[in-house]
Amino acid sequence: MNTVEYDIRGQICPSSLLTALREINAHETGLRERTVVLRFLTDNRDCVTTIPESARNMGYTADVQRADGCYRIEVHGD
Amino acid sequence: MTEPAGSAGGGAATPEQELRLLNERHSLATKYIREKIDELLKVIGTSPLRPEELDDETLIGLDPIGIVAGTFRQVLGHLNRTNEQLRFAHAELQAIFDSTGLGILVIDRNQRILASNAKLREQFGVVDADILGLSCREIICKADRPDRLCPFRVTLETGETYRCANWPVGDRHFDIVETALRSPSGEITGSVLVYSDITERVAAEEALRRSEERYRDLFENTSDLILSVRSDGSLEYVNNAWCATLGYRREEAERLSILDLLHPSCDAGCREHFRELLRGEGGGRMRTVLTAKSGRMVVLEGDVRVVREEGQPVGLRAIFSDTTEHEVLEEELRKREKLESVGLLAGGIAHDFNNILTAVLGNINLAQVVADPQDPVHERLAEAEKATLAARGLTQQLLTFSKGGAPVKRPSSITQLVHEHATFACRGSGTIARITGDPDLWTTEVDEGQIGQVVNNLVLNAVQAMDGGGTVTVSTENVTLGPAADPLQPRGRFVCITVRDSGCGIPRENLQRMFDPYFTTKRGGSGLGLAVTYSIVRQHGGHIHVDSEPGVGTTFTVYLPATEQLQQPAQQPERPAPAGMGRVLVMDDELVVRETAKAMLTELGYQVECAIDGLAALARYETARAQGRPFAVVILDLTVPGGMGGKEAIRLFRELDPAVRAIVSSGYSNDPVMARFTEHGYVGVITKPYRLSDLGAAIQAALGSPPPAAP
Repeated sequence: MNTVEYDIRGQICPSSLLTALREINAHETGLRERTVVLRFLTDNRDCVTTIPESARNMGYTADVQRADGCYRIEVHGD
Repeated sequence: MTEPAGSAGGGAATPEQELRLLNERHSLATKYIREKIDELLKVIGTSPLRPEELDDETLIGLDPIGIVAGTFRQVLGHLNRTNEQLRFAHAELQAIFDSTGLGILVIDRNQRILASNAKLREQFGVVDADILGLSCREIICKADRPDRLCPFRVTLETGETYRCANWPVGDRHFDIVETALRSPSGEITGSVLVYSDITERVAAEEALRRSEERYRDLFENTSDLILSVRSDGSLEYVNNAWCATLGYRREEAERLSILDLLHPSCDAGCREHFRELLRGEGGGRMRTVLTAKSGRMVVLEGDVRVVREEGQPVGLRAIFSDTTEHEVLEEELRKREKLESVGLLAGGIAHDFNNILTAVLGNINLAQVVADPQDPVHERLAEAEKATLAARGLTQQLLTFSKGGAPVKRPSSITQLVHEHATFACRGSGTIARITGDPDLWTTEVDEGQIGQVVNNLVLNAVQAMDGGGTVTVSTENVTLGPAADPLQPRGRFVCITVRDSGCGIPRENLQRMFDPYFTTKRGGSGLGLAVTYSIVRQHGGHIHVDSEPGVGTTFTVYLPATEQLQQPAQQPERPAPAGMGRVLVMDDELVVRETAKAMLTELGYQVECAIDGLAALARYETARAQGRPFAVVILDLTVPGGMGGKEAIRLFRELDPAVRAIVSSGYSNDPVMARFTEHGYVGVITKPYRLSDLGAAIQAALGSPPPAAP
């Protein structure tokens, strides 16, 4: 399982969301095949809602954890 | 998109104008893209783009439309997959809904039908499948009550699952479970009712209940004793007949062991047999004896079966019949048969014996007549007469066992008889007889001689039991007997004679045999006393009962049937031999009897002729009449082996001479002809052996009697 981490701290929605959606689109195959997990590090509180919700609407699972002063959002295939 | 201002008009534009126009168009296009991206971002659920965050150049480079388009493509793909799964799930649910053996009904809060499966419609006979929107009351329960009183509203109002067992609908029965349906917000929107048709189960249970009831009815009402025993011997189940016979209540029986109930008379083999059965060995037909709560012995016979579970014995089941009465009756029959066999023997010898005694007694009497009263031989003759009369008494005792010993009964009050014989039996013994009696004792039909013998035997028995001391209590009373446990005890009105002593008592093992002839525990006893007593009482249609406890005493109770007939006057006492005149014809098959009778009658003054049987006597009688020398009296022997006896001869005599004065004579004093001689045409009766005085009195009575009634 390959985890790809993106540090988007300093970005705010919607640009941080667009960044996350772009990477989710880019790793669609890996996510569906469960060979890739995407991890987003963000300090924007809105992202905690928008990124997991969008990922779930696309059929993925999204977990949110608080770590080291930021939020760690992991997106993986359902 | 809006056309930039100044683009309209004629003529060629300058390069500056074209640049400005291009910039305006770019600016408008960028604004358009930003607006559309904001709309898409709003759909996604995030905030619009801010110009300070993404300038136009970055916006174009980031390609947010491409990103959002890719996102929407994935969202749509996910929705399609989800829809597909939902369709599949729905199809699955529908298949379950339609194929389950349970009826399913979905209703809304107003109990309007939202859905139903085929099974439910089948259960409730709904032909028209279009029942949506109808009230479930109309389709299912068809009850008259308003919906608000329906018990199934509980779930609609509280949300709690409601379970209802054995709910009758028409002629069917259902187990029903109702579960609430809720909206995503948790609001109760309706309920799902699942109907399980248990009609067949209910019918099967009812059939089982009835079957059990039938078996229970059979078990509890049969006269057989049915019991189930656990492997440790404790009683698991007993039926009513068992309780009634053994006298235990059911709850008492459940605390008992079969081994504790075995009667002491049931030998060790019987106990071991039960132990073997409890170990799983044997089974089948068996006889056993149990002890009732009252201590009464209960004889049982029946079938026992070992009950096994997985091959291991876990108890017994048994069906027994109470054969106590049967065995008592069998014992009684055995006793009677024994007495009858003795009677047969006695009857066989009594005839000859009495003939011999007739000769002995007659000759003693004749010798007494001729001997000098002062002669010492007179005393010897008196002793010989006494011994002969004792021998006659013994013969009579033996005859009571035989058919010839039937009692000659006449209505009597036994008060005096009991008093005389009880007093006589105690005389010289040291035992005091305390005699009490009901002054208004009912009349009973008895042979006074035989009943006197009964009293004599019982009192003598009491005297001997007390070694000639103590007090024997003899009482008479009237009793009315109803139904009793003792199968031998009769019912009705009885005159009761009770003889009670405080002697040594009778051991239990001897009680069964005490009435057997020749059974005695006394030195020098004949073993006939109680046997004769028993036989006499039985021949009177009575009953004898004995209660005895070793060391305490014995009570004999004799029940004699009471009669409505009036008492007859007592027989006349003995008188001296009266002399007479006239011709007498004696018929007897025994020479010694003929010769003795002839000598006795000659001594009394009569002229005597003899004949060997009935035919010879008839011939002599007819000849004498023809010759004008008729016989005044004829004495006919009742029984003539191989020839015509008195019973047949009297008929011919009366045909020849209806006025014939005939006396019947026999050693069978209790023969019915002897008892009712007048009915047979005789004018008198005399029992062999007879004394000279008896013979003289009989002739005198015959001569003085009126002629017999016409045949």
